[in-house]
Amino acid sequence: MSPAINRRQALLGIVGLGGTVTGALAVPAMAAESEHPAHPVAAPDAVAMLYDNTICTGCKACMPACNEANGLPPDTALSGGLWDVPADLNSKTKNIIKLYREPEAPGFAYVKRQCMHCLDPACVTGCPFESLKKSDWGAVTWNGSLCIGCRYCEVACPFEVPKFEWDHWNPKIVKCEFCYGRLHNNEQPACTAVCPTGAVIYGKRTDLLARAKDRVAASPGKYFENRVYGEYEAGGTQVLYLSKVAFEKIGLPKLGSTSLGHYATEVTSVIYKWLSGPILVACVLGAVIKRNWNRHEAERPEREKKTGLRDQL
Amino acid sequence: MTRWKKFIELLNRWKKAIDSLSVANLNHTTTSICDEDGTALVNYWQRGVPVYREPVITPTLLFFAALAAIGLTLALVRFFSPLGPFSGMNDAYAWGVWKTFNVLTLTAIGSGPLAVGMAAWVFNREKLHVVMRTALVSGFLFYATGLVALGFDVGRAWNFYSIVMPWRWNAHSAMLEISFCMPVYCFFFLAFENLPLVLERFYYTGGETTKAFLVKCAPTLRRIYPFMLTGAYLFPLMHQSSLGGLMLLAGDKVHPLWQTPFLPLLYLLAANLCGLGFVIFLLLITCLHYSRPLDAGVLGELGNLLSGACFLFLAVRFGDLVWRRQLGAAFALDKMSLLFLLETALILVPAVALRSRAVRETPRRMLNVATLACLGGLLYRFIPTTIAFYPARHANYFPSTPEWLMTVGYISLGILAFGLAVKYFAILPGEIEDWHHMFRVVRQRRSEAKLKGETSWPESLSTQ
Repeated sequence: MSPAINRRQALLGIVGLGGTVTGALAVPAMAAESEHPAHPVAAPDAVAMLYDNTICTGCKACMPACNEANGLPPDTALSGGLWDVPADLNSKTKNIIKLYREPEAPGFAYVKRQCMHCLDPACVTGCPFESLKKSDWGAVTWNGSLCIGCRYCEVACPFEVPKFEWDHWNPKIVKCEFCYGRLHNNEQPACTAVCPTGAVIYGKRTDLLARAKDRVAASPGKYFENRVYGEYEAGGTQVLYLSKVAFEKIGLPKLGSTSLGHYATEVTSVIYKWLSGPILVACVLGAVIKRNWNRHEAERPEREKKTGLRDQL
Repeated sequence: MTRWKKFIELLNRWKKAIDSLSVANLNHTTTSICDEDGTALVNYWQRGVPVYREPVITPTLLFFAALAAIGLTLALVRFFSPLGPFSGMNDAYAWGVWKTFNVLTLTAIGSGPLAVGMAAWVFNREKLHVVMRTALVSGFLFYATGLVALGFDVGRAWNFYSIVMPWRWNAHSAMLEISFCMPVYCFFFLAFENLPLVLERFYYTGGETTKAFLVKCAPTLRRIYPFMLTGAYLFPLMHQSSLGGLMLLAGDKVHPLWQTPFLPLLYLLAANLCGLGFVIFLLLITCLHYSRPLDAGVLGELGNLLSGACFLFLAVRFGDLVWRRQLGAAFALDKMSLLFLLETALILVPAVALRSRAVRETPRRMLNVATLACLGGLLYRFIPTTIAFYPARHANYFPSTPEWLMTVGYISLGILAFGLAVKYFAILPGEIEDWHHMFRVVRQRRSEAKLKGETSWPESLSTQ
């Protein structure tokens, strides 16, 4: 090959250099602002729920209220078609009160399960078309006209909240949406509105977090680990829990304080920033392939002469 | 039981046949071509040659056609039926074998075009150009059937049109990257790479106008070819790693032996080794089945690369385990640790065995170790999605019968298409002598047919 470079090679070189510079710029840019910080900070207007199972009496008033507010049918599979008795969160149940009983000791505890409305939700990070998204006040909502039904949200959610309508031809993803419509009408969610004991209350996240911490401070030793579940779990959630028994016992998983979105996109968000990584790779690959291709083509007449046949690609 | 015995007998017969095909025993008289080192090397694989000695439709092919028909019929039924009663999937195990096996796992062995192509075009392994077509067609079929599987797996496929509206994209989602990258790769780049072998048939079977047109088109095709090659390597590099990236979001639900920030890289490296392993496997199986000579040079080169790919994978795998301090868990000898050891052994054995020249030059051993490597890579890709995936709630997943049948159906569709393609197109590598012989045979068949008064030759290739 001649040592002098032609116009095309020069162009490729320039594009390659451009890609490198873009890549070099992308790294500090990424460090400066990240859409998935390891420890996200709640927006000042973020709403929240605080559930305290030392107050909950297990009356389940929140369950029919939720069904009514969301137009959900009763789940009568366990009751022989009579009453709404869901076994767990499912495609007909966005909110449930469950009972935990100690295996040997007499103790028991209730737990209210619904979407945790994470500050950096794994489901939102995974959703390909922003069907699930963090809406006003931090509510995680679902938009049926964008959802392709890939069910990545179900695989991603550490709390296993999103449910899929397995028995529908046009299936929806069913999950608590913080009564988003009610919030827009200046109403609080149906479950907190109806709770007779104040076991689950609604408010701004900052206020509720402070209140929960006051309760812990007021009676040390009453609450498990003297802490609020949801303050840091999976980067923080907008549903906060106080429990008298271990959180794992009532089905709240032990999670690190780093958001899953951060863990999953830490590296890729740098590589894919402004597509700098792919452009860089394309430039390098392109230059090498073009060089090898040119040589392969230059040898083609010789090969074709030798075999007497057209060269195959 | 007797059926199993029959299968083993068949396998042994195949293995004996492959032994007899061993390169050293071959006494073919072919034009020898010098390789770049200048040493004379008998090159049995010189160009793609269609399979022309066999009838197009064989009982085996009909068997796969039947399986494919069952699978596709069920897929059609599935489109009008909810997912629930059809599959064993549930809210805890929301992904079944269609996604975890047909897409996440099988596209690894469909990565031949990436692995062999990069070796040939980027790393200048000139010898490998002759097996590119085998890799390209098989890769295309794995991807295409995987995408069909995906299409019938998603619950609301009709909303997929958003893929052409970039403002709707969630750029942070690995799922988005995959749903964009994979179809574009399969139906644009990979399809383009497969175009020359289709046009070649038109060139040899078509009339004067077709020929003139194709000759006119050829320079344009060759002008854009290197650019398409770049895309054809960039895209799978992206989505094969994104497939691993999918499981990152599952976090603690995936066992710590598999859950690592290195998942994307490891998935890519597994695709690399599976791609190479499967091309070796496929070449040996098909050349054996259609009684073609083998080429020690090309196979040795592939074996060398496969060994390197296995070592590279294992180095990253163990480096990661050491870095995350999970080596203890790896050798704890519990269920997950045994699974890990099995998977590692399946990759380590070929890596070590292929260092030996004797293994690389014995087709039978090559077939064995390539199969092991493929299995190891596939196991690595499958385990974190299903076996080492522990949702918090108590639930089980086992594929339902329709799920199995559809999975098998998609694979059979690929096998069927490959079985037909090798007979119509010049895919499998062969000798130039064979290429000329094919034309002689076809000419003879055609004149015989003419004598009998048939207007068209009903079977196999009809050329010139």
